[in-house]
Amino acid sequence: MTVSRFVLFGFVALAVLAAFQPADDPVPTGPYELKYPASFGGRFSIPADNPMTQEGVYLGRLLFYEPRLSATGTVSCASCHQQSRAFTDGLAKSVGVSGKPTRRNSMSLVNLLWVRQLFWDGRSNSLEEQTLVPLQHTDEMGLKPGEAALKIQKTAPYAALFRRVFGSDSITDGRIAKAIAQFERTLISADSPYDRFLAGKYALTAAEERGFRLFSTAPNPERGIRGGNCVHCHGGPKLMQELFHNNGLDSNATDPGRQEVTGLELDHGRFRVPTLRNITLTAPYMHDGRFTTLAAVLDHYSDHVQASPTLSRELVAAQAGGLGLTPSERNDLLAFLHLLTDTVFVNNPQFSNPHVRH
Amino acid sequence: MTRFNLLFRPAPWALFVLIGAFCLAAGTGFGQITISGEVTKPLTLQAADLKALPHTEVTGKDRDGKEHKYAGVPLADLLKLAGATMGGELRGENLMKYVVVKAIDGYETLYALPELDADFATRTIILADSVDGSPLPSGVGPYRIVVPGEKKPARWVREVKSIEVRFAK
Ligand code: HEC
Ligand code: HEC
Repeated sequence: MTVSRFVLFGFVALAVLAAFQPADDPVPTGPYELKYPASFGGRFSIPADNPMTQEGVYLGRLLFYEPRLSATGTVSCASCHQQSRAFTDGLAKSVGVSGKPTRRNSMSLVNLLWVRQLFWDGRSNSLEEQTLVPLQHTDEMGLKPGEAALKIQKTAPYAALFRRVFGSDSITDGRIAKAIAQFERTLISADSPYDRFLAGKYALTAAEERGFRLFSTAPNPERGIRGGNCVHCHGGPKLMQELFHNNGLDSNATDPGRQEVTGLELDHGRFRVPTLRNITLTAPYMHDGRFTTLAAVLDHYSDHVQASPTLSRELVAAQAGGLGLTPSERNDLLAFLHLLTDTVFVNNPQFSNPHVRH
Repeated sequence: MTRFNLLFRPAPWALFVLIGAFCLAAGTGFGQITISGEVTKPLTLQAADLKALPHTEVTGKDRDGKEHKYAGVPLADLLKLAGATMGGELRGENLMKYVVVKAIDGYETLYALPELDADFATRTIILADSVDGSPLPSGVGPYRIVVPGEKKPARWVREVKSIEVRFAK
């Protein structure tokens, strides 16, 4: 077959395919193209049995915003993960179908394509596995295994969409999780002033520049070097390192955190380092939502770091009790933290509630 | 055989004490290292196992810029113990293997297998358990990788938890 005949054949095949698609079909199809800055790297968390497709992401988004997927018909993933708050909920502890607060603070859903150990304690190793946790937790969405399918199989678009995405109409917990995971992997945030600064497209103000320096420098009291060394844990283009640390909130943590997963004493009171992306939008802060403002967080790192056997070495090495930040250093750090807000991300129409017609 | 019995005559209860100690160690997992992946004998070594293995001493410059004496077990020995393709077997496609060392906090770095093998490398990379004659301090130990001669100690992984051999795809 010559090249031109091959191309012609391709066009004919496409035309035939298109003819079978209803003209007003809103469902996009085909492989999903991920767009992200090269500096984020290609170390993705996509399992081989759940490749990303446009139809899969489309279905996942509908399910993420679907309150039918709860015992009361009122709670969806988006109840506790709201786009305007960078997919958090503004509460210290979240509230689901039971009205009883969850054990921990809701986490921002952002750049999950690069996260391998999910939750504050890293207990889940894939988004596919993670999704089943809130679906079936009595204080979150409260469904029994297999119940989710019954809730949505009679709702108009779902059977057809599952067929299109997975090849048959069977709706299962596993397929629901796969589709939601595909949608979550598209939640890429890479357009904050900080990102533009890294790309050479934004010039820092004097205060932001000083804040960036404090954020990035390891303190050395002997040599008179000031710094917060935040970068050690929260640094890099994605503003997260997948590390587990005890950042000195308590001298004896009531929530053992990572220790519950590994059984290691050395993991007592360690939690996954959260991303600082969109940090101005995700209050209250820490795994238990104990701080309501960023000023309170800086107070913590400045003066209230609690000693304990598992306190991170980086924070011990600073100085007893904390960094001892001056008022102007706090202002500079705050100015820097405000650069991390990605308004394009929280307003991106591709991430909003698809059940609402605009 | 008789001689062994004369030298080592365990009391009947010793076994229970040993099992108890083992359970305790396994429960807290303190000082436990796993070696897994592309090996023929995946291993979980307890603190006592590691202590009993032959130690090597190396010197290296830590972040403080000062030379220190570190003692520990060469990574190559641990890998051989687990049945990784070292020495004569380290050729052909086995040269596409690498080792990932993971710390308790999730930090991880890699070393190509030949970097660790005495037939290739002039320096000995060790899993250290002491510095200048004392156990490693908390936050650093119980085990730390020491790469003598490496100018930046970023691969001197602290609080080592696991060692995994992988094939580059
Ligand atoms: C009742 C509130 C609530 C609901 C509903 C809820 N979540 Fe969450 N979500 C949380 C809380 C709280 C955490 C942190 C829990 C922990 O770490 O123990 C969390 C954590 C997560 C994480 C981990 C993020 C990370 O960086 O590790 C993901 C992903 C997630 N939720 C997705 C979902 C999905 C998908 C749904 C719907 C199927 C959902 N959530 C429903 C409250 C909720
Ligand atoms: C040793 C690692 C480490 C260093 C250094 C560090 N942090 Fe953290 N940070 C953490 C961990 C771990 C948490 C989560 C702790 C928890 O919830 O138990 C956290 C939480 C936070 C939070 C709350 C995030 C949220 O979503 O709730 C903010 C804000 C923060 N850190 C800012 C900073 C700043 C600013 C600095 C520098 C002055 C800094 N951190 C230095 C490890 C670190």
